[in-house]
Amino acid sequence: MESADSTAVIFVCHECDALQHVTTVLPGNDAICVRCGSRLFRNPKGGIDKPLALIMASMIIFIVANIYPIMTLTIMGVEQATTISGAAIIFMQQGSPELAAIVWLPSVLIPGLIISGLFYVLFSIRFQKNWPYAKTMLAWISRMLPWGMMDVFFLGVLVSLVKLVALADIVLGTGFYAFILLVLLYAMVIASLEPHTLWESLRHQTSLQGEVENG
Amino acid sequence: MAKTVLSAKAKSVVSAKDRGLAGCHTCGQVVDMRNHSHVECPRCGAEVHYRKPDSINRAWAFLIAAFVMYIPANTEPMMRTTSLGTESGDTILSGVLYFLHHGDWPLALVIFSASVMLPLLKIIAIAYILISVQRGATHRKIENTRLYILAEVLGRWSMLDIFVVGLMAALVQLGKLTTIQPGPACLAFAGVVILTMLAEMAFDPKLIWDQKENNND
Repeated sequence: MESADSTAVIFVCHECDALQHVTTVLPGNDAICVRCGSRLFRNPKGGIDKPLALIMASMIIFIVANIYPIMTLTIMGVEQATTISGAAIIFMQQGSPELAAIVWLPSVLIPGLIISGLFYVLFSIRFQKNWPYAKTMLAWISRMLPWGMMDVFFLGVLVSLVKLVALADIVLGTGFYAFILLVLLYAMVIASLEPHTLWESLRHQTSLQGEVENG
Repeated sequence: MAKTVLSAKAKSVVSAKDRGLAGCHTCGQVVDMRNHSHVECPRCGAEVHYRKPDSINRAWAFLIAAFVMYIPANTEPMMRTTSLGTESGDTILSGVLYFLHHGDWPLALVIFSASVMLPLLKIIAIAYILISVQRGATHRKIENTRLYILAEVLGRWSMLDIFVVGLMAALVQLGKLTTIQPGPACLAFAGVVILTMLAEMAFDPKLIWDQKENNND
């Protein structure tokens, strides 16, 4: 819709402030800044249906990954299982709520908010629901994005696995496999989204409803 | 906005600021800043500035705080293991050395890079970029931008060791036999990661490009 009257859109590079025109970007291609080489815009294949499908799968897998234990440790007949939130729970019990928050926010709460928020925004755009606060939500999602650290947490799971496997018997749980899938799905969701396209769709929607005068 | 005509050649590229335009930091929308001191983005509603406000001072403040935290993060124990009544503490480096002695060098390398090297390199990289900008450097703009993006992408991986300590503590709870507890370095370490991320977010890479070469234009 941004190419309704002309094929070029004006972009300002997020990294170097270079002002430039971006002409039609074919699906699967990126537009690169002429001055600093950073990515200006990408046109992911699959439009909005692909991230919406992936985000719906992520929501289900997110619940599975968070409910079932990621691993169970056995030393001398004593069994101890943990879920993703397990680290935060033990920090809580040991009397350090600040550490619990530092571990829990980037591994569970922020990714959860990003996933459910993206579902809200994408669903609203795809089915022209024009749900309220979609813009506010998208703005907050982009601010939260760097603080979601499921991928780092997953590497943490692997490192502690290697550390513990020498000391005790470890059995991987359903949560572990669901978590691998979740990290992959989440990365695919992020890779299939272009913020500019989402913002344009949201603006287009609200201006159709006559809520915003400068459409 | 539509009046601005540009050629797509790198030589004649103009900064948006020189044309009275700014890209919204939240959504990227190009906003006309002329005749305005305070502009709200028409697309996402965020406040729009030519450059992030007070960027250099805020970045330095976060960076110095991060550097201060980096010291206890490395000297204090990260993890406390209590085995049959005897307590022992492990710093990040002693943990790395333990794995190195046991021939597990890939794991030692992962922990060393994520916990010791990365935060320090990120602090040095941002400090270097900040000094270059403050000295008005006109060279290595692309390199500095790349360095900034690299610091942005890699920095978060330093949270690794905190997650590892958390998972170990959650799993190794065997009453009087063995328990693992987080050490004082954990909070300092999280501080380093969070503060370097805040420093990197406070800094505006567009400042790198504000210095004009004399031979151009």
